[in-house]
Amino acid sequence: MTLSKKSEQFLIELRMYLMSRGKNDQEINEITEELEDHLLQAEAAGKDTSHIIGKSPKDYMKSIGDSMKTDFRQMAGLIPMTILLLAAYFSFGPAIEGNFLLSSIILWIAIGGGVIGMIAYGILLFKVIPKFFHSKWGYVITIMTSFLVTGLGVVLLLWSKGQEAEAVFVASPLENNLIVAVCILIFIGSAVYSKSWISIVIPIFLAIGPLAERFLPQEINENPVYMAWASVGVLTISGLASYFLWKRYKSQ
Amino acid sequence: MADTTQMLKGILDGCLLAIIHEGEIYGYELAAKLESYGFQAFSEGTIYPLLLRMQRENLVTATLRKSTAGPKRKYYTLTEKGQQELDEFIQRWEQLSASVNNVLNQGGNRK
Repeated sequence: MTLSKKSEQFLIELRMYLMSRGKNDQEINEITEELEDHLLQAEAAGKDTSHIIGKSPKDYMKSIGDSMKTDFRQMAGLIPMTILLLAAYFSFGPAIEGNFLLSSIILWIAIGGGVIGMIAYGILLFKVIPKFFHSKWGYVITIMTSFLVTGLGVVLLLWSKGQEAEAVFVASPLENNLIVAVCILIFIGSAVYSKSWISIVIPIFLAIGPLAERFLPQEINENPVYMAWASVGVLTISGLASYFLWKRYKSQ
Repeated sequence: MADTTQMLKGILDGCLLAIIHEGEIYGYELAAKLESYGFQAFSEGTIYPLLLRMQRENLVTATLRKSTAGPKRKYYTLTEKGQQELDEFIQRWEQLSASVNNVLNQGGNRK
C-alpha cells in the first residue's frame, strides 16, 4: 500500500506546520504516523483524502495543532540551532579558503544577516518548501534559493574584503579546518532536526567557490579557458541533476 | 440552521469514550465503528484532535504497536477517569435526550 501524492503532501505540510508551532517532535511523529496509517487504509478502501481531513486542510491542521501542547523546552533549542546554522553559513566559505577572520564589519554583517536570514530561512523551510514539495517548483525554488544565497554570500564577502577594518580574530590553518568540521556537523544536525535536505544542499553550493579558491592554482583559477570549461561542467551537471530529478518526479 | 457537524460537537467525545470502552481500538477502526453506528456526515480525521485532547486530560491511554500494513498503530484504552467521564456523559445524554424528546413531542405525536 502506498499513499497518494495528495495525502503525502498533506502529511509533510502538517509536520512542518506543527514544527513551526513549536510542538513536541515525538508527538508530531505519533500523530503523523497515526494519520498516515488512517489515510493508507482509507485510500485502500477507495475513500478520498477530503473524507478524512475535511474540505480545508488548513483548518484541520490548526485543529490538530490546537489539541497539542507547545513544547517550550524544544523551542528554546530551535533558536540556538538557527543561530548556529546562520553562523555556519557565514563561516563555511572563508574557513574552506583558509581565510577565516573576524572583524567589526563581519560581526555587523553577521548580526544583520542573522536576523534577515532567520526570518527568510523560517519562511522558506516552514511555509514555502512544504507547499511545493511534490511539484517541480520545489526543486526550482530550492536551486534558485541556493544560487541566491551563494551569490549574496559572495557579494557580502567581496564587499567586506574591500573594507578596512581591524581583525579581532584570525584563524590558523588548523583552526580553519576545525571551523569547517564544526560547520559540517551543524549542517548535518540541522538537516536531521528539520528532516530536510535544504541545509545540506545550500552549503554544497556555498562550498564550490571557496574550494576552487583554495585548491586550484592561481593561474588555473583565473584562466578564462578553464573558467569556461568549469562553467560548462557546472551547467552540464546541473542539467543532468535536473533531468534525473524530473524523471524521478514523473515516475512517482 | 446549523448542520450535523455543529450538533455533533460535544457528543462525539462521549461516543468515542463509549466505543473505546468496548475494547482496545486504533484510530481507523474507531472511525469505521462510528460510521457503522450511523455517523456518516463527519470527516473521519475529526476524531484525532479529540483523541489528543482526551490523552492530555488522561481520559484514555495510548500504546504504539507495530503493524503489518505500514506505520505503527496507536491503540487506545479507557482510564479510570475516562470511565467516570463516560458514566457522566451517559447521565447527561439521557437527561438531554429526554428533554429534547419532550419538546419535540409536546401536545401529542409529531411526524
